[in-house]
Amino acid sequence: MSAARLRDYARDVTDDVVLRTSGLTKRFGELTAVDHLDLHVKRGEVVGLLGPNGAGKSTTIGMVLGLVAPTAGSAQVLGHEVATHREQALAGVGAMLEVTSFYPYLTGRDNLVAVALLRGDGALAQVDPLLTRIGLASRGGSKFRTYSLGMRQRLGIASTLLGDPALVILDEPANGLDPAGQREIRELIKELAKEGRGVLLASHLLYEVEQICDRVVVIKKGKLIASGTIAEVTHRGSYYEIAVPDMGRASSALRALPGVTEIRETEAALEVVADAGRGAELNRALAAAGIYASAIVPRTSSLEDVFLELTESGSDAPAAS
Amino acid sequence: MPWVLLLFIIAVGVGFYVLIYVSAQAQINAVQNGTLPSQPGQLEAMQEALRELRPDRVQSFGVGIVSGIGSVMLIVFAASHVGTEFGWGTLRTLLAHGAGRGQFVLSKSLSLALFALVFMTVGVIAAIVGSYLVTTMANESRDGLDLGAVIDVAARGYYTFLPYMALAALIALWARSAGAAIAAGLVVYFTESLIAGLLIQFNRDFANIVNYGLSRNASALTRVAVTTSASPDPGFAALPDPGQAAIVLGIWTALFIGLAYWRLRTRDVTLG
Repeated sequence: MSAARLRDYARDVTDDVVLRTSGLTKRFGELTAVDHLDLHVKRGEVVGLLGPNGAGKSTTIGMVLGLVAPTAGSAQVLGHEVATHREQALAGVGAMLEVTSFYPYLTGRDNLVAVALLRGDGALAQVDPLLTRIGLASRGGSKFRTYSLGMRQRLGIASTLLGDPALVILDEPANGLDPAGQREIRELIKELAKEGRGVLLASHLLYEVEQICDRVVVIKKGKLIASGTIAEVTHRGSYYEIAVPDMGRASSALRALPGVTEIRETEAALEVVADAGRGAELNRALAAAGIYASAIVPRTSSLEDVFLELTESGSDAPAAS
Repeated sequence: MPWVLLLFIIAVGVGFYVLIYVSAQAQINAVQNGTLPSQPGQLEAMQEALRELRPDRVQSFGVGIVSGIGSVMLIVFAASHVGTEFGWGTLRTLLAHGAGRGQFVLSKSLSLALFALVFMTVGVIAAIVGSYLVTTMANESRDGLDLGAVIDVAARGYYTFLPYMALAALIALWARSAGAAIAAGLVVYFTESLIAGLLIQFNRDFANIVNYGLSRNASALTRVAVTTSASPDPGFAALPDPGQAAIVLGIWTALFIGLAYWRLRTRDVTLG
């Protein structure tokens, strides 16, 4: 282990980091699916991995699980390099992939037993309690092929918890679940974090992510384009809507203010992109210029707004906080 | 699928005996009754066919049928056993939950070898039952079963299954498809012996090359025990000796399994 890796490991132990990727890169021929991605997940936090289709989320998860060999960089789970110490690294990971796949001719319970045998000591005893926890106790004896999509997802989630992993990776866990099921899964993910596990959640349901994630990492074409807490990331899309009689003069007055990054004129009002909590300052600057605003309304973008802005814009530059 | 294959080989094991007995007996009766014109040697041939059904010939007839049909069925099974892991996506699930690629190849190899053993055992037992059944129907003596010889021939037949199964598993793993592996496995099984035979007929020196393939060594290993009843074909003398055959087949099996491991180790198991 190099000195730099040793320092990372020591820092991770102190910071309770369960997953760290450093410069993680995957190229498929000419295509760079993941490009020098750095991310980390700590114990007790839920990190959302967001990105449009083809952004590299599943490839990233594949590299973390040792299914896909990185072209460069590394992924460490609990300080173990996945590439070189896969067995030790994966002992601490429970993962549910985007497509839940089990043996169709086995019952749900037997499929969990098969996974439990891979997970080692103690996992077998967890099979029945997990079936109950995930709401499949009554159908545990049915063949997997008879399961609905929602039941398959539940079984996939149950399989991630076998062996008490410190890191749980969930790729689109709410796929196929009805609204009640989606809520149950949200509650379950919160519980997992409360139990001290780190959760990496890849999801297209931004409402879900906004509700349960402590931090998000947004990637596009394999590159990290934004990361931070939900508040930090959504702040990027926050602005003040200011109704003034003379928009041209008001724009000139506000443009000079520090912290004002962008001013947009609409038919009804000015949209001023500035740091939060600066409404009074904006008002004062307008008044000093002899302009009296009839309304100054702080507007906050949803995660969805920011996500769409980030992923649909041409820029791939990181906007990490 | 395993249960279906076992039921099928039981049906084949018993069914072949009954079918051949009934048809041979019917022809003999017809010739004796005069309803069928007698051809020179026909009656003797039918009686010889009936003799093949006796318990003392199980090692040549019954085990031969199980080995011949078994090879094809086990190629299909091996391809399916590995290919479906890709089709169902269960390979990703296993690897994501900590199974190693080496573990996967090893467990597949062992389970295939074990199934082939069970398959051969069940098939041979079915053939013995079939033999006893028809000799009882014919009201003939049921003595003479040489269990040692049966086990010896069955063990040789079992050994020849292994490289073909390993090849089918390798192709399934390489192509990530059961269908491709079944097709390729069967093509190799049927055409290799054909091509080898043609080459030897064209020039006997080609035996030096084709005797390192699968079919000639499989033939050498299984035929040695039944030469007393089988009339040697023109190329029989050029077959490798059984010791070499066992070594060559063992090397092929190990090579196919090793290649399967190498391919899986270096392959990305991409997500859906």
